[in-house]
Amino acid sequence: MNPSPDLDKLDQRVSTSSTSDTKGTTVNPVDTHCPYCALQCAMTLTPAATPGRPTDAISLPVSIAGRAFPTNRGGLCKKGWTAAELLDSADRIREPMRRRPDGSFAPVSWAEALDLVAEKLLAGRAEHGADSVGVFGGGGLTNEKAYQLGKFTRLALGSSRIDYNGRFCMSSAAAAGNRAFGLDRGLPFRVEDLDAADTILMLGSNVAQTMPPFIGHLDGARQAGGLIVVDPRRTATARLTDDGAGMHVQPAPGTDLVLLLGLTHLVLAERLADTDYLARRTTGLTQLRLSVAGWYPHRVQEHTGVPVWQLRELARRLAAGRGSYILTGRGVEQHVDGTDTATAAINLALVLGLVGTTHSGYGTLTGQGNGQGGREHGQKCDQLPGYRKITDPAARAHVAGVWGVDPAVIPGAGIPAVELLGALGRPGGIRTLLVHGANVVVSAPDADSVRRGLKNLDFLVVCDFFFSETAALADVVLPVTQWAEEEGTMTSLEGRVIRRRRAIDPPAGVRSELWIFQELARRLDAPGVYSAEPGEVFDELCRASAGGVADYSGLDYALLDTGEPAYWPYPVGSTGTPRLFLDRFAHDDGRARIVAVTPRAVPAPAQTQGALTLITGRLLEHYQSGAQTRRVPELSGAQPEARMQVHPATAVGLGVIDGGWVELTNERGVVRCRAQLSTDIRPDTVFLPFHFPADQRANLLTAAATDPISGMPEFKRTAVRVRAIAAPGRPATDHERVMADA
Amino acid sequence: MPELTSSGPTSPGRPAAPERIVVVGYGPVGARFVDEILPLVEAGLAELTVVGAEAVHAYNRVLLADYAVGHTDRDTLDLTDGGRAMAAGARILTGTTVTSVNRTIRTVSLSDGSTLPYDRLVLATGARANVPTLDGVKRVRRAVMKPGTDAAGLDAAALDWADAPLPRGVSALRDLADAAVVLAAVQAGRRIVVLGAGVLGMEIALAAAAGGAQVCVVYHGEIPMNRNLDRGGGSVLTRAARRAGVTMVNHARAESVLFQHDDDGVERFEALICADGKQISGDLLLLSCGVGARTELAHLAGLPVSTGILVDESLQSWADTAIHAIGDCAHVAARPADADLGAAWNGARMAPAGGPSGLIGPGWRQADSLAARFSAEIRAGVAGTATASPASAALVESVAAGVTPAGPAPVASIQAPNVAAGPGASVVMLKAEGIDVVAAGDTAADPFDVDDSAHAHGCGTGAPAPLAVAQWAVPEHGRYVKMVTRGGILTGFVCVGMPRTGAELTLLFERGSELPADRSVLLRFDGPDYDPASAGDAFAPESTVCWCNGVTVEAITASAHAGNDTVACIGSATRAGTGCGGCKGRIGEVLERVAAQPVA
Repeated sequence: MNPSPDLDKLDQRVSTSSTSDTKGTTVNPVDTHCPYCALQCAMTLTPAATPGRPTDAISLPVSIAGRAFPTNRGGLCKKGWTAAELLDSADRIREPMRRRPDGSFAPVSWAEALDLVAEKLLAGRAEHGADSVGVFGGGGLTNEKAYQLGKFTRLALGSSRIDYNGRFCMSSAAAAGNRAFGLDRGLPFRVEDLDAADTILMLGSNVAQTMPPFIGHLDGARQAGGLIVVDPRRTATARLTDDGAGMHVQPAPGTDLVLLLGLTHLVLAERLADTDYLARRTTGLTQLRLSVAGWYPHRVQEHTGVPVWQLRELARRLAAGRGSYILTGRGVEQHVDGTDTATAAINLALVLGLVGTTHSGYGTLTGQGNGQGGREHGQKCDQLPGYRKITDPAARAHVAGVWGVDPAVIPGAGIPAVELLGALGRPGGIRTLLVHGANVVVSAPDADSVRRGLKNLDFLVVCDFFFSETAALADVVLPVTQWAEEEGTMTSLEGRVIRRRRAIDPPAGVRSELWIFQELARRLDAPGVYSAEPGEVFDELCRASAGGVADYSGLDYALLDTGEPAYWPYPVGSTGTPRLFLDRFAHDDGRARIVAVTPRAVPAPAQTQGALTLITGRLLEHYQSGAQTRRVPELSGAQPEARMQVHPATAVGLGVIDGGWVELTNERGVVRCRAQLSTDIRPDTVFLPFHFPADQRANLLTAAATDPISGMPEFKRTAVRVRAIAAPGRPATDHERVMADA
Repeated sequence: MPELTSSGPTSPGRPAAPERIVVVGYGPVGARFVDEILPLVEAGLAELTVVGAEAVHAYNRVLLADYAVGHTDRDTLDLTDGGRAMAAGARILTGTTVTSVNRTIRTVSLSDGSTLPYDRLVLATGARANVPTLDGVKRVRRAVMKPGTDAAGLDAAALDWADAPLPRGVSALRDLADAAVVLAAVQAGRRIVVLGAGVLGMEIALAAAAGGAQVCVVYHGEIPMNRNLDRGGGSVLTRAARRAGVTMVNHARAESVLFQHDDDGVERFEALICADGKQISGDLLLLSCGVGARTELAHLAGLPVSTGILVDESLQSWADTAIHAIGDCAHVAARPADADLGAAWNGARMAPAGGPSGLIGPGWRQADSLAARFSAEIRAGVAGTATASPASAALVESVAAGVTPAGPAPVASIQAPNVAAGPGASVVMLKAEGIDVVAAGDTAADPFDVDDSAHAHGCGTGAPAPLAVAQWAVPEHGRYVKMVTRGGILTGFVCVGMPRTGAELTLLFERGSELPADRSVLLRFDGPDYDPASAGDAFAPESTVCWCNGVTVEAITASAHAGNDTVACIGSATRAGTGCGGCKGRIGEVLERVAAQPVA
C-alpha cells in the first residue's frame, strides 16, 4: 500500500538519535519514553529491521529496553515492558471507519472521512451554534497535540466547549496548587530529591501498582522507618511500610480532609510548626489556626477511625524529619471536596515549613502520561497555553498574537468535563463531539448516562488506536499513531519536558492528530495555521507559553534532544527550574496562601444489609480505561476481569465467597463481578478497579457530583449495596462487551 | 417593633427587612452557630448580635485540660477571632451578659443597661461546673428563683455569673481563669485532689500527672466514669490510671473541706474529708462533679426548663417559637401536646429524656442544624417576595430538594447520630495520651443477662430486636471490650486499651452499622493481623516480590527450578527486578532458599 503524500512528509521526520535509510524508515535504536503513566520511564526501542536485534521479540515491530533516567533508573514495569504488543495488535484500527445504517463499521478513505466530519461540524455549528460542538481531550496526548487541540477548538470550531479527562485526574490538586502557590506543577522538585528524605507521607496514592518504578525513590524513607501511607486499603504501597519501614494509616473512606485538619491541629497544638517560616513565607495562618481548633485528635479519631496515638505519631514524625515530603494522589483528590483536601495537605506542609526548600516539599503525583503538560496548554475549558487564564485580557492578547488572530475571535471559558458530558445530546447542549485520547464510556462518572448522552449526539468522532468502548459508539473513528510511531514532547510528573520519538512507521492508513487537525482546519476554512510537524507546533507552543505560568519559551527540540534536564518554567535565556519556590512563591507578594478549609457534611451510610462504601482505583496490569492494556495478552491474562475486593468479615455476613459472584447496585447502575476476599480492606468498604468494560464498569455506580472549585467528580465515596448472586452464564468476551455497549 | 404572629417569626411575603438574630452565649456552640449563619448576614438577610459574658472570643473548652497542664498554648484554643463576623456586620459584645428577656416585645436587656430587639433569639448559655455540697464551700441556691417577666430585684446576670467565690486552693476547670490556677499547680508539681471521676475529672487527673503533679482522684462509686463505662471497663481504666501514677480512691463520699490559714490569714485548702473519716490532703482541690445547664435566664423569662432549657427536635423552645436553645443549656425533648406550657411549667413532671450531653459534638451539630433551618426559612421568606434574587431562589430550591448546593451550604450534620441507640446517645472518649478509653450507648447488659427467648419473639411482633452482648477482657494487659447490639446493630460499647478497635467501633456506632457476626474481627484491629511488624510470611508462594512486574515467590521459584539461578536470569525470564530494582535482594533470598531445598 502506498503511503499518502501527507504521510510521506511525516516520514521524513526522524529523531536525532537515529539515522534513517533513504526511504525514511528508521532502523537504529531510538530513545523515547513509555506510553503510559506520568513517570515517563525512559526506554529504548529497537525496530525489528535493526541488524543485531535480539530474536526473542522478533514478532513485535520494536523491542523495548529500559534506559537510565532519573525517574526509572533503567527499570520498567509490566505495562512498559509489554507496550509494544499494541503496535501491531489485531484489534488495531488501520483505516478510517464509518458507521453504517445497520450499526456496523465500514472502512472509508481519509478524504471521505474528513469531508464528512468537516461537513457535520459545519452543519452542526450552523444549526445549533459553535458551542454545540464539543471536544473532549486526554492527558495522554503529547504537548503538541494538546496545544493544537485547544487552538483548533477555539479557532477552527469557534467553540468554548473543550475539556479533558485530566478533570478526573489532576484538577483538584491543580486547583489547590494554584490557589496556594500561584502555580501548579505536580512535583515542584525533582523526583530524585525524594531519595534523601527520611519521611514521606503518601496520601491516597498506590504507586507500587500505578507507577511501580517510582517506589525506588521511597527507599531512603523506608530505611529511615519513615514511609507513611494513608489509604483505606492495605495496598501494595501500604505494604511497603511493613517491617519497620513506616506506618500504614487506614482511615474510613472520605475522611481524608478531617484527618489532615487533625494533623494540622496537632502540629500547631504540640508546637511543632515552623513559626519562622510561616511568618516569612505565608499568609493566612491565623484563619488556619482557628479553623483547626475544633479538630482535636479525639474528634478526628471519631470521624476517621484513625487512633489518636497514630495521629500524634504521624504529626511528630513529619515534624522531626530532616527531610519530609507530603505527596497526594487520586485517593484524596477524587472527592467532591478534593480541592479542599489537597489544600489541607498543602496547609499541613506549610505549617511544617516544608514547601520551597531543598530538602522537603509537597507534591501531587500526576497520573496520565502527559497529565502535567496536558493541563498547561489549552485543553482545559478555562485555559490558554502556558497555563494562562482564558478570561485574562492580556493572556488572550498574547495568544491571539501568536495565533495571528483578533483576540475577540477566541471564545471565553467553557464548562468542565462532567458538565460537558452531562450536556451531551441535550437540547441546547452538545450536539457534535470530538474525542481524542479518552474513553469516557468507561472512565467518566455515572458512565451509563455518559453512554446515553453519546448515543443522543447528532455526530460523534473518536480518534483512537482501537475500538474503545467510546469509539464503538462513534459515527466516524479516525485511526491515529501510537507512541512509538510519533514525535513530540511530554511533560512528566516533575514538570520535566521530555522527547517522545518515532522508532517505526505507523501502519499505512494511520495518521497523526496533528495532520487531522490540519486537514480539518483547511476544510473548515479556519483562521490560523495548523502545522502537522510536531517540531513546528512545539515552537509555536513555546512562543504561546512565553510569559505564562508554564513558560516553555526557552525550549526547542534541539535542546531537549541533548538530554539536558528541562524543568519548566523555562523562559528564554534561563536553564529551567528543577526546584520551584526556593525564594518565593508565584503569587505577587511571593508568599504562599494558607486557605482555611472546612469539611462539608457527607453522611456516611449505615453499614447494614450490604450497604457499603465503594472506592474505585487501579491495578498494576492496567492503565486508565484499559482500552490499551486489556489488549495485551500478558496483562489481560493476569487481570482479565474486575474483582470486587471485600473484607472476609463483611463477606461472611453477605454470603459472599472468594471468587463468587456479587452484584453492586445503587440508583445509577448495577455491576456484576467476582469477589476477592481480603483483609487488606476496611470492613465498611469495597474496592473496584475501573479498567473494565460493560457491566463491570465501576463508573456505572459513581455519581456525577463534582467539586465546586475543580470540577473533580467523586470517585472514592460511593454508596452501594452488595449482594451475592448466582454465577451468570459464560462471561462475555471483551469484544462482545464492546459490541453490546455499542 | 415587630408584629407578634402566632406562626413564628418569619411570615412569607413580608418585606425583606433583615431578620434580627440575637445569640446569647459566645462559647464554642454559640460561635459555631455564628459561623454557620454568617452567609445569611453577609447576604444582608440577617442582622446578628452575639452577647458573650467572657471577655474573649470563643475558645475550645474541650482543650482546656491540655492547656491547663501546659501541653499546648493558649492560641491553640481559639475557635474564632470574630473577624469574619464583624466584617460581615455582625456585632459581638464580649464581656457582656444578658440580664433578662422580654418575650412580649421581643427584646433582651444587657448588663450595660441597653436593650436589643430580636426576631429570633438563640440561647447558647452553656453550663457551669457543679459545686458539690461540702462543709466549708458555699453554694448559690438557684432553686429559690421565681420566674416572671418583670424579675425586679433578681439580677439574672449576677445569679448566672457571681458564683460564691470558691475558697483559695479550690477550683473547677471550666474557663481560662480556672486553667491558670491548675497550670500553676501542675508546673509547681503540687498535690492535686480531683473530686469526681467523670470523663473530665479523669482527663485532668491523667494530664496533670503526666505534667508532673501528684494527683489523687476521689470518687463516689466503685469505678471511674461510671456514667459511661461498665464495671469491666472501669476496672481496667482504674488499673491504667494507677499505672500512670494517679492515686484512685473509690467509694469515697466527700463531706467537708479542711482549711489551713496562710501567714496572711487567708484560708486555703488543706484536705478533703470523707464520710468514713478519710482525709486526703493536697494543695489544690479540683472540683469535677459535672456541669449544670445555665438556665436562669430562660427560667426567669418563663420558659419551660428541666435539666436544660426545654426545646423540641427543631431546637425551638416549647413555649416560644422565637426562642431557641443549643448546646449545653439545651434539653431536647419532644414537646408534649397536652401539657400546660409556658410560665406554668414548674418542673413537677419527671425530667424527659434527652438532657444536655455535656459533649461538644452534639452541641456543634445543633448549631449547624439550627443555622441551616434559619437560613432555609429566611431565604424562603425572601424568595417569596418580589425582590427574590435568582441565586437565593435556586438555593431554596436545592434545599427543598435535599440537595447540597455548591459553595458554603448549610450543613445539617457531619455525622448523623445513631438512631438505633436512641436520642442523645453520644460517644465519650477519654482524652489522655496512652490510655485509650471510648464508650457509647447503654452498656449495662452482660453477655449472659440476655434473655435467649428474645429470639422467639422475633420480627413482626413489634418486640424490640434481640439484644446481644459480646465481651473480651484481659485486665492483665489493660484490654477490655464490650459490644452491645440490637438486631445486629451496635447500640453500645466500651473499649479500653485497644485504640484501633475503639476507633472502628466509634465509626460503626455513629453510623448505626451492623457488626460482623464474628465480633473477634474487631479485636484483631489491635492484633497481629494489622501489625505491620508481624505481617505475613514474606516467602509464602503467593507473596509478591517484584511489585513493578507483579512477580510472586512462586513464579520466581518455578523459574529457578527451570534453571534460572541468578538474579539476572530471573530478571530475563520473569522481569522480576527489572522495574525499580528494589526487590533484587529478595529475589536473591528466594533463590538461596530454592538452592537450599532438595528438588522434589
